[in-house]
Amino acid sequence: MSTAPTETTRRVGSRGRDYGYSNARIRGMRSRLLKQAFFDDLMTAPDIGAVIHKIMDTEYGPDLEDRILHGRTAAQVDEALKDNMVRTFAKVMSVSNDEARRLLTTLLGRWDLFNIKTIIRGKHMSFPDEVIIDSLITVGQLTQVDAEELAKQESVKSVVDTLATWGLPFAVPLREVLPDYNENADLSVLELALDRYYYEWATKRLKGRRANTRLARTFLSIQVDTLNLLTCLRLLSSDLPPEDVLRFYLPGGDRVTEELFASLSAMSDVDEVFQRLKRTQFGSILEQVAITYIEKGSISVFERALEDYLFRKAFATSKGDPLGIGISISYLWAKANEATNMRIVVKGIAVGMPVERMREELIVV
Amino acid sequence: MIKNKLAKVVFGSTFLTAVMVPAMAMAAEGGTSVADLDPAVGVAKYAAAGASMCIAAMSAAYAQSRIGAAGAGTLAERPEAGTTLIVLMALPEVIVLLGFVIAFMIQA
Repeated sequence: MSTAPTETTRRVGSRGRDYGYSNARIRGMRSRLLKQAFFDDLMTAPDIGAVIHKIMDTEYGPDLEDRILHGRTAAQVDEALKDNMVRTFAKVMSVSNDEARRLLTTLLGRWDLFNIKTIIRGKHMSFPDEVIIDSLITVGQLTQVDAEELAKQESVKSVVDTLATWGLPFAVPLREVLPDYNENADLSVLELALDRYYYEWATKRLKGRRANTRLARTFLSIQVDTLNLLTCLRLLSSDLPPEDVLRFYLPGGDRVTEELFASLSAMSDVDEVFQRLKRTQFGSILEQVAITYIEKGSISVFERALEDYLFRKAFATSKGDPLGIGISISYLWAKANEATNMRIVVKGIAVGMPVERMREELIVV
Repeated sequence: MIKNKLAKVVFGSTFLTAVMVPAMAMAAEGGTSVADLDPAVGVAKYAAAGASMCIAAMSAAYAQSRIGAAGAGTLAERPEAGTTLIVLMALPEVIVLLGFVIAFMIQA
């Protein structure tokens, strides 16, 4: 994977490992994150015009001003929210020091992974290019121009070929499994290869004994653990043989080992998984949503709970060293959470969703 | 790790200058009057006073560089915090004042 910095904003961050300047700026930016009261107020807006009026007074104002020139619609507001998120992430990278940039680039690689998976899914399902482009959030190394170019390719094969032509490392795992995909048209083969490649790459890149590197590695391993756990829950009713199940295991986790993954996947239902994980840190998470799961009967309940858990862990990284990478990680995840919540509210109001339903959808940590 | 080492060196040097050097100079002076002093003791006193002032100033500069960097970051995002930052920037000056007083005491 490329390690070239994102050059969307002029770099002002210090060299080496001095976090004084960058963390002070990021703390300043964090003080402008929207509070719960703002969301409560926003959800009561009668229409999209009122939403635009309220958002105009926030950090999103300048981005929204540019977008509403094309129309005062929910889609334009959504684009403005994404623009702001991309701009903010680029700003954090530009003020960060060398060490922080390296660690953040590694962690934000998950957005490149997300974008490439989105493009490949779109091409596999033959979605229009515009739909795919609207779903991209280019806060990683892949720029908007690059992502749009990829989205305009004709097929999955041409996406992989373009990645290879550009010399992007994600092409390596995709080329290896492309014959399998061509034979079976099984999208999971490509997605699994990408996931595996990214998490192996990131784990290798976050090796080291420095406190900041260890913090970033711990956070990455929590991400891998939650993904593995979610995969286990999805595999419960799949009846796959154990050797096939392990194909879905992602390396780099800390708590969910390969043995635990295999044994959880072999269980018959969620109750058994819950009993097995009862005394681990995941036990309380699953317990909290167990009743909702019984009511809804959908694995997405656990997906949401694990996502909340990941956000809580991201926010907790700022509670350690005030001159460490935790401040940046916490802010970036909080910003992503805020943008997601804003998009939920904007779309909710556009389709006339009740306030209570919107409130349920928000990730409040 | 390097930051910690640097902090230890700065703290150690300041302590040495503030406590040990004046003590040594005063010990060398003994009970004699200024007129009876050995010229070497006079030179040592000047050197000690100079070192006291110099190291105190360097320590303050180090502290101000860290506060200044963080302050510049804060000012870029929250200009309204400017007044507080001026106070924070001025605080390490106390270290220089202490160095100056110690230098003066050595000379007196």
